[in-house]
Amino acid sequence: MADTEHQGRQGLTDGLKTVSYARNRQGRIEPVEGDGWQPVNDVNDQAWREIEQRVALARQTVASGRASCLYYHMVVNQMNPWLLARYSHQSPLTVLLHLLPFFFNRLPLGRLQTYADLFQVAAEELRRGLPPSAGPPLSPGREPEHGN
Amino acid sequence: MEIDFAHKQSAHCESGVLVNLLAHRGLELSEALAFGIGAGLFFAYLPFIRINHLPLVTYRAAAGQLLQRFARLPGFKLAQRTFSSPGQAMAALDALLAQSIPVGLQTGVFWLPYFPKALRFHFNAHNLVVYGKEGDEYLISDPVFPQPVRCPAADLARARFALGALAPKGKMYHFTQVPTDFDRCAALRAGLAATCTIMLNSPFPLIGVKGIRFLGRRLQGWPRRLGGDRAALHLGHVVRMQEEIGTGGGGFRFMFSAFLQEGSVLCADEQLLASAASLTAAGDEWRQFAVMAARLCKNRAQPGDTYEAMAERIQACAAIEEQAYRALVAWGRDAA
Repeated sequence: MADTEHQGRQGLTDGLKTVSYARNRQGRIEPVEGDGWQPVNDVNDQAWREIEQRVALARQTVASGRASCLYYHMVVNQMNPWLLARYSHQSPLTVLLHLLPFFFNRLPLGRLQTYADLFQVAAEELRRGLPPSAGPPLSPGREPEHGN
Repeated sequence: MEIDFAHKQSAHCESGVLVNLLAHRGLELSEALAFGIGAGLFFAYLPFIRINHLPLVTYRAAAGQLLQRFARLPGFKLAQRTFSSPGQAMAALDALLAQSIPVGLQTGVFWLPYFPKALRFHFNAHNLVVYGKEGDEYLISDPVFPQPVRCPAADLARARFALGALAPKGKMYHFTQVPTDFDRCAALRAGLAATCTIMLNSPFPLIGVKGIRFLGRRLQGWPRRLGGDRAALHLGHVVRMQEEIGTGGGGFRFMFSAFLQEGSVLCADEQLLASAASLTAAGDEWRQFAVMAARLCKNRAQPGDTYEAMAERIQACAAIEEQAYRALVAWGRDAA
């Protein structure tokens, strides 16, 4: 159990060694190196599980035709329509419309390119719809289950 | 082009950048001291601002405050500017690097490719130092990383112009003037006074000790208001903000305690040690809360792990901290 947890944590923070402050024997507080405190790893894990769930849900929504694949990419990049509007220099209303397949499927290539550049994928890929399964490069990319 | 720049890892990004930039100009200072003098300790619980659909909880002062407070100390001068376009911003950065000046930047975290996935959120108040450029890559001293890192120019430009809350707008800064030394004890007093004022006397009830009490009261009602799953997410979020890298543990309380210990030596005053002990106790109490909360988030609650019990711990933190700040205010008054 401990082993699988350790792998999960390494996958999340790439084993990043951070600095935290702790008491030494004389009672002085000093900076020490550590690779994470278990409760923090637990809550980080919880946060990523939540994001994965959101992504899985978004995938379903898009697959069922209730939203365009822009919606999926938006969720993968942890954005909401308002943030996406600012990044793509458009009004939120425009973005909300583009989240619907009817409008999104009629977008000219130039407009698609704006989104493609933002999400670092090819415009063609946006046109094709949902990416296979691994998700675009910015996605968490973690296996959905890692044993704990 | 590479400037000889000593990278030193620290817990918090802004104090880390500050310490590294000052060390480059020949002024040595510990991270904890920089954090305390810059009045970095804070608390606010602002449920109407949402981060990833969860309420904002912060244990540190607003981004840029540490730098601002240092810039106002006698003998220090900070050149700071923002930009309207990435082209201009990157050109200005290159121009400073060409003059062998390491440059501090405010960036978003989400677009920095060297960050581990778990920490890549749309958080825009990260700080780092650029100290060189090789080909199309910038050499970066990011204080939360153990070693210097590299970042492609396009990604750095994106990170400098991240959008959303606290958008950095390409902000960059460097010290144009740094004294050989400064009155550390006086600066420490000023920093302490600012911290105590905001923690005790904020008119806004969601800030400072009042904010901690408010969080305690709200937290108690989460399972009823939000249901079990959402409540656990909110709880996990509070713990992450409190213990995530950058805080040094215990929501910056341990770092502040280290600052007070150092201060007691600097100002030759034993009384600060007592306050340091209180802040450490507060940090321990915050950690106890985090341990209990993490068990609940993992569905491994032990008997006694309830939202009421956690609320009690938070109220205990508020009580310990209030007492500590009041003692520090009294200390400042006596010494003046």
